[in-house]
Parts: sequence; C-alpha cells; structure tokens
Amino acid sequence: MTRPWRRFRRNRLAQAGMFLLGLYLLGALFVPLLAPYSPYTQDLRSTYVPPLAGLSLRGPGGELGLYVSPVFRHPLEGVRVDWEEKYPVRLWVRGEEWRWLGISGNRHLFGVDGPVRLYLLGTDEQGRDLLSRILYGIPISLTIGLVAVGIGLILGVPLGALSAYFGGRVDLLIQRLVDVMLAFPGILLAIVLVAILGPGLENAMIAVGIAAVPIYARLVRGLVLSLKALDYVEAARALGASHTRVLLRHILPNALGPILIQSSLQMAIAILFAAGLGFLGLGARPPEPEWGLMLARGREYLAVAPHVATFPGLAIVGLVLAFNLMGDALRDALDPRSR
Amino acid sequence: MLAYALRRLLIAVPTLFGVVLLVFLMVRLAPGDPAVLLAGEFATPETLEAIRARYGLDRPLPEQFLIYLGALLQGDLGESARSRRPVLEEIKTYFPNTVELASAAILVALLTGIPLGILAALRPGSGLDLGVMVLALIGVSMPVFWFGLLAILIFSVQLGWFPVAGKGTLAHLVLPAITLGVNATALLARMTRGALLEVLSQDYIRTARAKGLAERVVVFKHALRNALIPVVTVAGLEFGSLLAGAVITETIFAWPGLGQLLVGSILARDYPVVQGAVLLVATTFILVNLLVDLLYAWIDPRVRYD
Repeated sequence: MTRPWRRFRRNRLAQAGMFLLGLYLLGALFVPLLAPYSPYTQDLRSTYVPPLAGLSLRGPGGELGLYVSPVFRHPLEGVRVDWEEKYPVRLWVRGEEWRWLGISGNRHLFGVDGPVRLYLLGTDEQGRDLLSRILYGIPISLTIGLVAVGIGLILGVPLGALSAYFGGRVDLLIQRLVDVMLAFPGILLAIVLVAILGPGLENAMIAVGIAAVPIYARLVRGLVLSLKALDYVEAARALGASHTRVLLRHILPNALGPILIQSSLQMAIAILFAAGLGFLGLGARPPEPEWGLMLARGREYLAVAPHVATFPGLAIVGLVLAFNLMGDALRDALDPRSR
Repeated sequence: MLAYALRRLLIAVPTLFGVVLLVFLMVRLAPGDPAVLLAGEFATPETLEAIRARYGLDRPLPEQFLIYLGALLQGDLGESARSRRPVLEEIKTYFPNTVELASAAILVALLTGIPLGILAALRPGSGLDLGVMVLALIGVSMPVFWFGLLAILIFSVQLGWFPVAGKGTLAHLVLPAITLGVNATALLARMTRGALLEVLSQDYIRTARAKGLAERVVVFKHALRNALIPVVTVAGLEFGSLLAGAVITETIFAWPGLGQLLVGSILARDYPVVQGAVLLVATTFILVNLLVDLLYAWIDPRVRYD
C-alpha cells in the first residue's frame, strides 16, 4: 500500500486534484465565514448586478483602499452606481447572522462597513449575492456526491460480490438485473428514477446513487471472478474458512484499489448528473443554491446577465475536474501498466 | 459467427423484457393512483373509469402487465394525458430530430476526437500530448449544459454566427451538435491515444520499423488499423448514450427532440408519454449495443470465443 501511495503523491495529476479538492473542502467547512451574505437574502433593487459593480479603489476623500458604492438596477437605464456614497471593504466584519454545523455567529471574513452590499461576482434575478450562493453550493454538491457514491457502494458491491462468488442462478439473476439497469444509458436511468420518486434534491441524490449501482456491481463481479480463481482463495477455503470470511477477509480487500478508482470517477459523474437534474428542473428546488439550478435560471437571462450562468458552471467544472484528476492518478498509481 | 449472433440476440431478449417490466412498473411504483397518473390530474371521473377499464387497473398486477404487453406488441403505447394524441404519434414527431442531433454529435466526436488522440500518441510526453490530454480531461469534466450556454453566449449572442435556439437550417444544428459531442470527443481522444500507444509498443510494430518502413506507413497502415477497433466500438456505444444525453442539450437549445418531450412530460406528470419515450431510448440503446457487438465480433474473430 505504501508504494502506490508514494506514486500517487508524486503524480502531478494527483497533486493538482488534491489541491483543487482541498480548496473546495475548505470552502465547504468555512462557508458562512467566507460568504459575505446568506444565500437567500434578496435585494430586489439590485437584480442582475454585473461582477465588481460599484467597486472603486479611492475613498470619499481620495484615499487609497477598496470602497463600495450603492448599485441599483434602473428599470430603463440599466445598472446605475451612486458614486457619491462610498463605504470601505473591511476584513472580519460584523454582518448577517449565520448558523453552521451547530455553531452560530455574525462575523464574515470580508464585507462592507456600511449600509451597502458588496457583490464581487454580481447578483442573480432576485438580487442575491452570487458569490455567497456559489459558496453555499459546495456542501450541497459534495453531499450529493458522497450520498450517491455511498448508495452505489452499499448496494452495488455486495450485489457484484455475491454474483461472482456464488455464480449459477444468483449470478444469472443479478446480471440480468444489471443488464436492465444499464439499458438506460447515462443520465436516463437517474431521470427514470426521479420520474418514479418525484423531483427534489433528496430524490435526485437517491436516483443518482441507484444509477451507480449497476456500474459497481459489474466492476466488483469482474474483480471477484478473477480473484476467486487464485490459489490463495482455494487454500483459505480448504483451511475451513466460511464463505463470508473468504469474501470479506480474502477477496474484497484485494479489490479495494479498483473500487477506490471507480469511486473517485463516480463522484465526478454523480456531481455532474445531479447538476444536470437540477438544470432540468428535476433536482433541487428554488431557492436552494444548487449549481445546476442556478445555471438554469441564468439561461433565461443569458444576454442580460451572462455572469449568472458562467460562475456556477466554473464551480462545477473545478469540482468534477478534481475528482477526475484524482481518479486518473489513482489508476496510474495502482496499475502502473496502464501508462 | 451465426451461433454467436444468435447467442447475443438471446441475451438481449430478457434485457428488453426487463426494460418493459420496469417501464410498466414506473406508473405502479410512483406514489398516487395509477389511473390519475395515466389520465392526468384534471381528468373527469368518466375518463378515469375508462382508463381503469382499458388498463385493467382493478386486476392483479401480472394480468395488468399482460394487458400492457399485449397493447405494446400492437404498437399501442397509450395516449398522452396532455394532448390526448396517441403516444406513438407524439414520439414519431420528436424521435427523428433526436437521431439527427445524436448522429451529428457522434460525427463531430469521430472527426475531432480520433485525430487529436493520434496526434497525442505520436509524441507521447510532448507539450502537444499534454495539451490534448488536459483539454480532454476538462472536456470530460464539463457539464454539457454549461458548455452549451457558453457556446450560445459567445457564438450566438456576442458574435451572432449561429441562431440561439430552435431547429431549421444547418446553422441551427452546429452548436447543439458540438455541445452534445464534446464529452464524447474528449472520451474518444483519450481512448485513441491509449489504444494507439499500446499497439505501438507491440512486437509486430518493432518488426515493421526494423524492416525500414517509413514511420507514416507503420503508424497509419499497421498500427492504426488495430488501435481503432476498440475506439470504434466505444464510439458505437457512445452513440446510444448520446441519444439519452441529448435530453439536456435539447433543453438548452430548445431542440424539438425526444429529450425535450421527456422532460416536459415528467414535469407535467404525463406518464404515458414518459413511458413511451423511455422505452424507445432504452430499446434503441439495446439494439445499438447489439449491432456494435456483432460488428466487433465480425471484425475481430477472437471475440466470438470468449
């Protein structure tokens, strides 16, 4: 285990992937501090404010610093900035109350000291701060990925292992089930399941998770089939080990590598699928700050406010890329022949 | 070959049966009265009664399934709860558009993905190789809907080269086809590179080089032929996935295909149409897989003896 791990750590792809994922994990952990506002606070006078609007580098007296002026959307003239008023951007400011992971507070890493709001990435159709919404979207997407991969593992690994280990009718039955599930390509299986369960974030997670089951079942079946044929398994059986013991102690530990690789790639797929369901209106519901859903709203006003669709998409690409990079690097580390 | 073809066909039958069963159960498993699900929320009591009688909803499930199967074999997929038109008619208008889009997308993927993969494999470790692989990795990681929106933003809204949405001229097809094809392009580039690198390391290639053949001849006449077999297989399977993946692309570009029909019907809880559309995509996918398998076995006889 140490040599693949060393290979993994030295791999450039792995380093890039771990760095990216680390950023997202930090973001998820400290989201209420990093986000200047709640993802739900609306400001209907300031809808579709473009990124960095109202920011200036000179204060009211001409002094250097970062200052914010009030930004409004005028019904006819578009975005107007009132440059007469200026308030300084400060670190560790008192702002909106938050509760997160059982802790509450009102401090934010940065914010405005004054009666205006800071919109670094602009606002959406209800004047909500896009940066805050994207940050609060990180824990949502990570949860989706973890829950979906968890469901895939919990159901798929035993199915595949039983199928391969016992063979015969059990195998035939499970494989036909897997065939049927795989007959719904890509996101279609998740869509079918959502159609049965009904739209919503929880159901989307379950649907994406179940869609991963046949993939794990097939993978684990192949792995166990090849491991079962090895001499040491036969030796364990001859020494009187039970089926359960052979499967859990002798076969599955040796299948962990490929399962780990698949899980990293599956996280990427789950996050993409869940965002896709959100985009189609079959996943998370408004006002949840889910990235796919945010993109769908951005689509409606693409020409007026392109930033609303651009930034959540970048957030998705980064997170999915992190898992794909790690999956690729894991494959290289655990199976050097594949290079 | 015939024996293999028959065996493959026999495996496809229970799968198809399972798909029909799952699609049948969809309405019965979903929460709510199946009659309401099939007839729509605003159906009158008379319509509900008629639906119950037609599908035998008061009878035991196995019998209901036989009724469903019998109707299916006669091409009766039921009636749309929204438009009251036969589901088969609805699907007939939308499906060709999806096939058109998926075909264009797979063409994009083949014509760009394979050459990119070859270029990368010819100079492994070079800047070009790294560039292609990074692009491919991003291409695999990109949500289709985001790529589509960016494409609209740049090429339709800013530059005005292509129409924003809809279907009609060839120009309408360009952006949706590229959008739908981008993931497959990245996948094929990665596959082609991997397969070609593996073939190039084999003994017969070393022999060909030792004979003094030009590198171009070695790569294009000897190596590529064998390397492309798995790539073309994946492309075939990918075509089936594109039919399903079109769901999202069609929504972005308002492309009047099966995917748009499917999503609209799910949101409107028009279950007969959902069932019909899902059944059609899954069946097509099974058939495409079968064809690809047979083609593969025909090109590479070793497959048949597995």
